[in-house]
Amino acid sequence: MIPMVFGVILITFVLFNVVGGSPASMALGKNVSPQALEEFDEQRGFNKPLVFGWWTPTRACLKRDFAEPILLGTGTNYPVQLLFPLRSDTYYRLKIEVRATESGSTVNFHTGALTALSAPSYEVSRRWQWSEFLFKPYSTNSAGPGLILVSVVKGTVEIRNVRLERRMPHGWDSQLVHYFATLARLDLGTSLSTNEKVTTMLKRGILPSLALTVPIFFGSLVLSVVLALICAYWRNRWPDRILVFVAVVLMSVNYLVWIIFGQFFMAYKWHWFPIWGFESWGYLLLPVMIGILSGLGANLRFYRTVILDEIYKDYVRTAFAKGLSPAGVLFKHVLPNAMIPIVTNTVIALPFLYTGSLLLESFFGIPGLGGLSINAINSSDVDVVRGVVLVGAILYVVASLMTDLCYALVDPRVKLR
Amino acid sequence: MEECGQSLWREAWRDLMKRRLIRFCLGIIACFFLIALYGEIVYRYYQFADRTPSYSRVNLSERYLPPSPFRHPFALGGAMGGGLWHGVKALTYRPLGTDNLGRDVLQRTVQGTRIAFLVGVVTSLIAIPIGVLLGCISGYFGGWIDDLIVWLYSTIESIPGLLFILAVSMVVGKGILGVYLGIGLTTWVGLCRLLRADVMKHRDRAYVMAAQSLGFPPCRIIFRHILPNVFHIVIITFSLRFPAAIGTEVFMSFLGIGVQGEPSWGIMIGNARLRLWQGVWWEMAVVSAAILLVVLAFNLVGDALRDALDPRLRSKER
Repeated sequence: MIPMVFGVILITFVLFNVVGGSPASMALGKNVSPQALEEFDEQRGFNKPLVFGWWTPTRACLKRDFAEPILLGTGTNYPVQLLFPLRSDTYYRLKIEVRATESGSTVNFHTGALTALSAPSYEVSRRWQWSEFLFKPYSTNSAGPGLILVSVVKGTVEIRNVRLERRMPHGWDSQLVHYFATLARLDLGTSLSTNEKVTTMLKRGILPSLALTVPIFFGSLVLSVVLALICAYWRNRWPDRILVFVAVVLMSVNYLVWIIFGQFFMAYKWHWFPIWGFESWGYLLLPVMIGILSGLGANLRFYRTVILDEIYKDYVRTAFAKGLSPAGVLFKHVLPNAMIPIVTNTVIALPFLYTGSLLLESFFGIPGLGGLSINAINSSDVDVVRGVVLVGAILYVVASLMTDLCYALVDPRVKLR
Repeated sequence: MEECGQSLWREAWRDLMKRRLIRFCLGIIACFFLIALYGEIVYRYYQFADRTPSYSRVNLSERYLPPSPFRHPFALGGAMGGGLWHGVKALTYRPLGTDNLGRDVLQRTVQGTRIAFLVGVVTSLIAIPIGVLLGCISGYFGGWIDDLIVWLYSTIESIPGLLFILAVSMVVGKGILGVYLGIGLTTWVGLCRLLRADVMKHRDRAYVMAAQSLGFPPCRIIFRHILPNVFHIVIITFSLRFPAAIGTEVFMSFLGIGVQGEPSWGIMIGNARLRLWQGVWWEMAVVSAAILLVVLAFNLVGDALRDALDPRLRSKER
């Protein structure tokens, strides 16, 4: 159980931090200063190394790869313009990838008003090499962001790569550790679009979601088990054939089509149900019905297979032979014995109730977690998506533990040790 | 299980072909496959010629044309004047009507078929190799490798499926690549689990031990000896995940994070939904029918394949 929770946290980390990167520019828009982006990253810990590292890139000077190396002659400078003032509490290093085109070329670095440091000139080799310059900005730096000059003292050099990195106070001060730390405080972050705590959003959305999914769940469970028993009793005769075929057709109708046609005909054309909103239980009727119908096919087929596994056994034949009624045999003898797969299927499906139904909620205006996650995905609201995914996965892990416990309840052969 | 592989396949094929419904479904799938191929050719042609494709060209003078039989109900009876030929011509012009921008619904549905098949095939090409590889490895070797792979897939399984797919494609970026990766990278778990269980059963069989005692490397034993014996699982999984992938693609494109700027079925549904309230029903109806046909055909064939190929189920249900 613990390894799975750990795995889920790792997967969300890989997905959103490693692959996704910082959502700063998505959240703040196109025309914002690099300083604002840096502050955003600072708040959410995106300006740290991913897993481990002493150095991290800063937005004061974006990493640059030149397609064509820049050629610099004697006495010329390459200015590295800084976009905002550097922090004075830590070290920075400027790295350039450089090579000399004639032997004996030397360069040095000037930081102008930034620090008192100036590196001694040193000779550049003929091969491409990274050379770095370490400095610490002044604490009182009023002269603007400033710039760093790479000046060629003698000969000519070529520059291919420039990057500025900031030193972390600690090597483990990384995004991964930051992520675990915020999770340990039960903090799921804040929404990018509404600036609300994700935890409060989840708390607010869970009740409407459950109001929709719990009736769907139990309705479809009862209906499909009863229909599956009917199928199994008349197996391979026309009631079974028809039901199975209808189940496949129900399964094949796209979910969207269910919703759109249901809403259009039953709510709009025939006025049987309210169209949109969440004011009384009447608003839930249509979505619940659609939910049950769309899930019925798959469930019916699954339970039918499960019950067919039981119905060929000897005790069923005995029960029929001693003249019990079909309903008695099916509900009193077969059903309890088919409980194990049914319980597994049921309990495992429980956590998915919490995410609500993504589409039903946004179509019928139910303010639950499904609609919330759809909006979040549309607006690339990383923290909300991550929060919903994480909580859903953890609930699933808990539910699979519950399944094992339930086995002991429904099957006396299973003993917990 | 006692028969050799060849006869099992042949017998399964004969079983399938005996059933009229399944022949019909296979025919439907073949038709849609040809339509998708035709759509691909048209798409390539317009890309090559560097022109706006006819299926996305806006023609405001022909908005909201109903399907041709509704426009000219008596065309074949000579209502158009000029005899039968004119009637046929009138019926074949915009046969399924046009949408709100005057674009031909039939051509757009053909393109939607192309995208649906593309998604089904490409996501299978991503998911099935992952599932086969990990499932075989973990079933054959056991030990810590097995533990690791089981941990990996149970972790992925614990994440709510659709949300995970949407999250992956959100991170990758809107577009068809996001759809491929989102569906492909998250749906290999079922296959992996099934294969692992079956490979574990085969691992201790005599023929595997014989191969081991001949000193074959594990790679050869897994892929040349065991995999052919469990390959029916791959076939069944493919035929059942194909319609699921199509459904997911429709859903994603409908939400606007799937295919961009091309007439996918999801985009057409999203477009047609808004017009439904104005009484423009044909785009919605055509797309829904197309999805229903393809998915139903695949589901029925998949079921029949499972009955035919999985001997354990076969012995029970007959």
